Amino acid sequence: MAHSAEIDSKDAWGGGVSPFRVSYGKMMMWFFLVSDALTFGGLLISYGFIRHKFADVWPKAENVFTHFPFIEQHLPLAYVGLMTFILIMSSVTMVLAVEAGHRMDRKGVTLWMFWTIVGGAAFVGSQAWEWYHFIIGTSEGALREVWDFGTGAYVKQIFHGANMTTNEYGVPQFANYFFFITGFHGTHVFSGVIINLIIFLNVLKGTYEKRGHYEMVEKVGLYWHFVDLVWVFVFTFFYLL
Amino acid sequence: MSEFQDDFPQYELMSNHSAEDGKKARRTLWNVFWVMLIITVVELVIGSMAPSHGWTGALWLKVLFIVLTLAKAGAIVLWFMHLGHEVKFLKYIILVPYIGFMFYTIFVILTEGTYSGESGKFAPTSKIFTDQQESLKNAHQHGGESHNAGSGTEPAPKEAQGAGQHH
Repeated sequence: MAHSAEIDSKDAWGGGVSPFRVSYGKMMMWFFLVSDALTFGGLLISYGFIRHKFADVWPKAENVFTHFPFIEQHLPLAYVGLMTFILIMSSVTMVLAVEAGHRMDRKGVTLWMFWTIVGGAAFVGSQAWEWYHFIIGTSEGALREVWDFGTGAYVKQIFHGANMTTNEYGVPQFANYFFFITGFHGTHVFSGVIINLIIFLNVLKGTYEKRGHYEMVEKVGLYWHFVDLVWVFVFTFFYLL
Repeated sequence: MSEFQDDFPQYELMSNHSAEDGKKARRTLWNVFWVMLIITVVELVIGSMAPSHGWTGALWLKVLFIVLTLAKAGAIVLWFMHLGHEVKFLKYIILVPYIGFMFYTIFVILTEGTYSGESGKFAPTSKIFTDQQESLKNAHQHGGESHNAGSGTEPAPKEAQGAGQHH
């Protein structure tokens, strides 16, 4: 195998080699990620637009997400901070798995892939908990005009939590965008965990050992880091600002 | 397989490295991780200090958060996703169109989005939303029933601070 062949810029575009020095699969993963990033970028920009339009009635995240499991206290940002930490941690374990793969260290890849999957699953679970408490709401609730399907009219009543049309914390758009963007991101995390699991099983089976390289780990790694990348932005625009 | 690819370089194998290179790579990756962790902790500390110091909504705070976010995003893309070490051409073919599109979309929404729903000529937001917006505004002005609805200039009333607790 002529893998040490030098490619200089003069004949890089002459055919027979990749001018980008990457395999087809990796480049396609990058192109997919760019298109996916455009989707998330569009969603976040539209979120910013609606938030600006409803700025005077937009709820503050620190008044909405104040809870932490098993602790009955006012703790804004603590839980989402933990979630962010879990996801950054699992991004590090993923990149260590990729690095171990470059050394053909099967044991290392197994170990780090395992922790990545654990971190991803923990994040999805945390998000489910966050959603659950957002939907259930507070014991006080707030007075809202709720659509009554029986009479076909709006009825003023105390409403707890949030759904797609009513939201005790403020305008319904807040809940709409929260559900849609964190839901879309959560779907990505969930599918990332599944894909990581498949690759993990292949590592255990020795598929990549036989192949002579662990590039599949690198490709799912790209996807996994992308999920972390999106969360960095969601974290800022939903919770911090 | 080899029948077709005999004289092609195997890019997958080109990325394999020795134990020594691995050590160096790991050190860099852990350094990137610590930087990202510190940025996140700083964001959280400033974010949780903001309400009691009246910083919420301040321009410098927004700019600071966005700059820190972009720094973290850059660290992920350039080191974790290894884009910083790819061929220059690949790097730019990914980054330039994307960043260009994002700036363009932000520009369009800032310049063309100002009249949305304001002029009767365009379809207003669904009634179910506008009704609630009105009632929220009224409640806010009269200091009334709906807690948590306040935002903007006035600080939220005292009892609203703890109202987000869950049972």
